[in-house]
Amino acid sequence: MRKLHFIYFLSLLTITTQVFTACNSCKKQGVDITQDLYVPDSVIEVAPPQVSKAVTEQMMQNISSPVETAALIKGLKVPFNKSFLANTKQAEKFNTNFEKAFALGLYGCDLGYLNMYEKTSFVVDYISTIKRLADDIQVGQFFDFNTLKRLATNNENLDSLILISQQSFNRIDAYLAETNRSMLSAVIVAGVWVEGAYISSRVAQINNHPKMRETIGEQKTILNYLIALLKVYENDPSMANLIDRLNKIKKIYDEVKITYEIGEPEMIEENGVLTFKQTDKQIVEMNDELYQELIAGIQELRFDLLKL
Amino acid sequence: MKKILLSLLVALIGITHFNKVKAQSEEELVQICTMVAGEAEYLKDFRIKLDAGDPPPVQRFPVLLKKDIKYRFTVCNSKDFEGKVILQLFDNNRQLATTYIVATGKDYPYIDWVCTKTGAYHLVYSFRDGKAGLAVGLLSMVGTM
Repeated sequence: MRKLHFIYFLSLLTITTQVFTACNSCKKQGVDITQDLYVPDSVIEVAPPQVSKAVTEQMMQNISSPVETAALIKGLKVPFNKSFLANTKQAEKFNTNFEKAFALGLYGCDLGYLNMYEKTSFVVDYISTIKRLADDIQVGQFFDFNTLKRLATNNENLDSLILISQQSFNRIDAYLAETNRSMLSAVIVAGVWVEGAYISSRVAQINNHPKMRETIGEQKTILNYLIALLKVYENDPSMANLIDRLNKIKKIYDEVKITYEIGEPEMIEENGVLTFKQTDKQIVEMNDELYQELIAGIQELRFDLLKL
Repeated sequence: MKKILLSLLVALIGITHFNKVKAQSEEELVQICTMVAGEAEYLKDFRIKLDAGDPPPVQRFPVLLKKDIKYRFTVCNSKDFEGKVILQLFDNNRQLATTYIVATGKDYPYIDWVCTKTGAYHLVYSFRDGKAGLAVGLLSMVGTM
């Protein structure tokens, strides 16, 4: 009988522990971060943002998205161009965890571009490279290689290809944060940004659409946030080096003038879908010389980081 | 001996069942939310869990949104909680959009946002009347403008 009581006690204790563990994992994530992130509004020039570590971890994956960059380019009806992408053979050149994380972001951005243009014949090569890099930095288990390979090989459900690619990167980000390796997440984001800016710069050379000009110019805002995020880890020598390189392009961006006109959002309900349309205006100003300098600067940065 | 084995079995089933419920809950909500979002391309999900409170507690997430993109913000509530989630989109302290229109009392499973300014925004989630709740918010992209 005493034995039975002990078993009951043990079971109760185990279940209680499980309950407490579960509650820890769903703890309220957000402290009042609004106060940590000042967003300039109605300003003449975009001031570099001040970002805390808490904000860094939450904002990480959203700084630069391969899907959004590729969608903007495809939206301009710019045809697919394989030469914009990094060669997967170059992945072998990356040795340290820092370099591998950077390459993971870079190839992740290329994967977003391929997915958006539904170029599944190239996808397997890129997901294999990404999987190897992810394994090397011990996050390969979060990259759903088999499902992605099946979707790409069978040319089936391309929306799922984008969904699973994106979710895989989000899971990698969450895991790196959980295991106190957020710095690598930041490096991945930097890789995504560099490649996204590079692809945009290549498109800008062949397409004169004003939206391309604005896309290149507004990278000033995104780069400011990116550098602020990376600075959280600037004590690391590799990170300090990356920040130095990004600061070179930032110096050119400092000449770009971004102004805003603030308006009230409009609300429209159509077929049961509620849409809010922002009426703020963003005006990006730069002369042709500066525009060309930015394009050259972005390409130089990418070639430099790819060790070409 | 039989009783001991039975007790162990009950405990094991209890633990396994609890783990499954916990694990499924948020992941399932993400899957449901993805379906509710329809054709929009998934970008990111946000897990919201708040206790009851007055004033209603909130959970905030900073996001960077880009000009000329139409975003979709989807919300899905857990059936296990009473709270109905509300999303408010802020730019600094200015509310720009919401899934709950106070004037009509209407709740929307998703709202679309046409962004005309690249920059940082805040997603602020709370539960109506300050009730406790569990929900998932989804950020997805409808397309470019």
